[in-house]
Amino acid sequence: MALIELRDVTKSYMRDAITIPVLDRVSISVEGGDFLGLMGPSGSGKSTLLNLLAGIDRPTSGSIRVGDTEISSLSERVLAGWRARHIGFIFQLYNLIPVLTAFENVELPLLLTSLSKDQRRDHVMTALGIVGLGDREKHYPRQLSGGQEQRVAIARAIVTDPTLLLADEPTGDLDAKSAAEVLTLLQRLNQEYKKTIVMVTHDPHAAERASHLLHLEKGTLVEQAIGARG
Amino acid sequence: MKYVGLVLKSARRSKRRTALTILSVAIAVFLFASLRAVLDGFNAGTEASSSTRIVTIRSTSLIFSMPTSHADTIRSTPGVQDLTWANWFGGIYKDPRNFFANMAIEPESYLRMYPEIELTPDERAAFLQDRTGCIVGDGLARRYGFKVGDRITLKVGIPTYGTQDYDFTVRAVYRSGGAAVDNQSMFFHWKYVDERSLVKGQAGWFVVKVANPDQAPQVISAIDQKFANSPYETKTDTERAFQSSFVSMFGNLNLLLGSISLAVVITTLFVAANTMAMSVRERTTEIAVMRTLGYPSSTIFLLVAGEALVMSIIGGVIGVVLARVIVSPNLMQAGAFIPVFGVNNANAATGLALSAFIGVVAGVIPATMASRLKIVDALRRVA
Repeated sequence: MALIELRDVTKSYMRDAITIPVLDRVSISVEGGDFLGLMGPSGSGKSTLLNLLAGIDRPTSGSIRVGDTEISSLSERVLAGWRARHIGFIFQLYNLIPVLTAFENVELPLLLTSLSKDQRRDHVMTALGIVGLGDREKHYPRQLSGGQEQRVAIARAIVTDPTLLLADEPTGDLDAKSAAEVLTLLQRLNQEYKKTIVMVTHDPHAAERASHLLHLEKGTLVEQAIGARG
Repeated sequence: MKYVGLVLKSARRSKRRTALTILSVAIAVFLFASLRAVLDGFNAGTEASSSTRIVTIRSTSLIFSMPTSHADTIRSTPGVQDLTWANWFGGIYKDPRNFFANMAIEPESYLRMYPEIELTPDERAAFLQDRTGCIVGDGLARRYGFKVGDRITLKVGIPTYGTQDYDFTVRAVYRSGGAAVDNQSMFFHWKYVDERSLVKGQAGWFVVKVANPDQAPQVISAIDQKFANSPYETKTDTERAFQSSFVSMFGNLNLLLGSISLAVVITTLFVAANTMAMSVRERTTEIAVMRTLGYPSSTIFLLVAGEALVMSIIGGVIGVVLARVIVSPNLMQAGAFIPVFGVNNANAATGLALSAFIGVVAGVIPATMASRLKIVDALRRVA
């Protein structure tokens, strides 16, 4: 059974009484351990698709199943708990909390768990170690480079050992060197730690790192390409 | 508890704004506690009034005196157990700004009437034996550094007492044994003042002790009837009513000071609420990120409301501490009018509760805004 199953997912927004379709009957299956790249021009609906997978937005129609859970029917409160356990989200602009240190930023998702302080510390230091920033735990975001900030954001996304990592243009705000480091890290998480990753990107270099690629155009899946790497 | 660090870190995001918000709450609580202290101080004398003491003044006004010969007539009234009298001297110590109550009293009966004026037998004897002796409250003694044996010169404040300065020797420093008597006053012999007064044998008011408090209304009526249609008609009342009428000379203090307190608190509430709303607006993305990480709306609500509460309570603690330090007889010279002056525990607790109230009310709307934020919209706003 696939880890992610989208069946006939439609999403539209209302703007001044006008319905704007964003996704039109999209159906996708993603296997566990896959590294899926979602490509497409601006406004094609790829970020909307990612938000639906993350459970931070709801489809207009259709079903979204992740693991054993049909998430489109969950209440807000249950969905929040589900996100905390199953989703690690990586934003384009890192979105670290500026008043918290790297350690505290990574610890944020763990505050929702019943782990003790010592256990949380172990988890945070492990996650920071994986992204190669074990020595930057006391640094604030303003004291880190863009690439380092994104690596802290990745540590925050993996610290709860989620089922699924979702990355929305993770290299979109980085220089080429930092972008390459971040992509290598994501690839390592996929290959070494068997993390299932769905990544939205515009960047063909980033897309090359994915094991599968999907193209969206005007809200529909136009082509399904099997990546060369796997 | 694990969220406390998060709340404190968030509050320190904009240090200047947080400091100003805390300061505004501190000032509100300080003013509230101080104004309550003033009100309580005024009311303390009334609250602590004796049920066995009644006071007779001239029916026209407290400022007019009457002959001390009234004493015999009052004493002969059934139900009267004891009697004393006093005059408001209104003397000036060096400078009119050095205001404190100074009164000429019939010493033996006055000390008998007011056991709240606490003196040792030796101190009492030393005062009674010296016609130019005086006693001062320990609060007043602290304020001016008076000690036993010191000479105090009072300039005449009311022309009826002549033109020459009066010299007194401090014979004792009394302690106040109850709120009916303050520790900021000076008492001396009525006879000494009477000798040099232009009009002899005058008393400002009589204090009468009744044998049975239940009979006070009858005694009050009987005394006033005895002087009805005389040149010196009287108005007798319970000590409580006398104290209340004294306080009411300042107007409706409860309404006035209460209105000021309310205005300050409401203004502060708006300031704090606006600050929190600004803070939440600035943190829209962060809140959306936390919601994405799995933070439920209820936790977001508590974090934002908790931040407002923490800031407000810190302000409240500062306000209460400042009020307790500043609003005291040692620092502020209000004792002559207000026998017990200071922020008591009840007012301090009310001040803290008020700061918590400000925090909760100011935090509710921003916290609701934050908890109802639509994640996708909030993320899109900055992306």
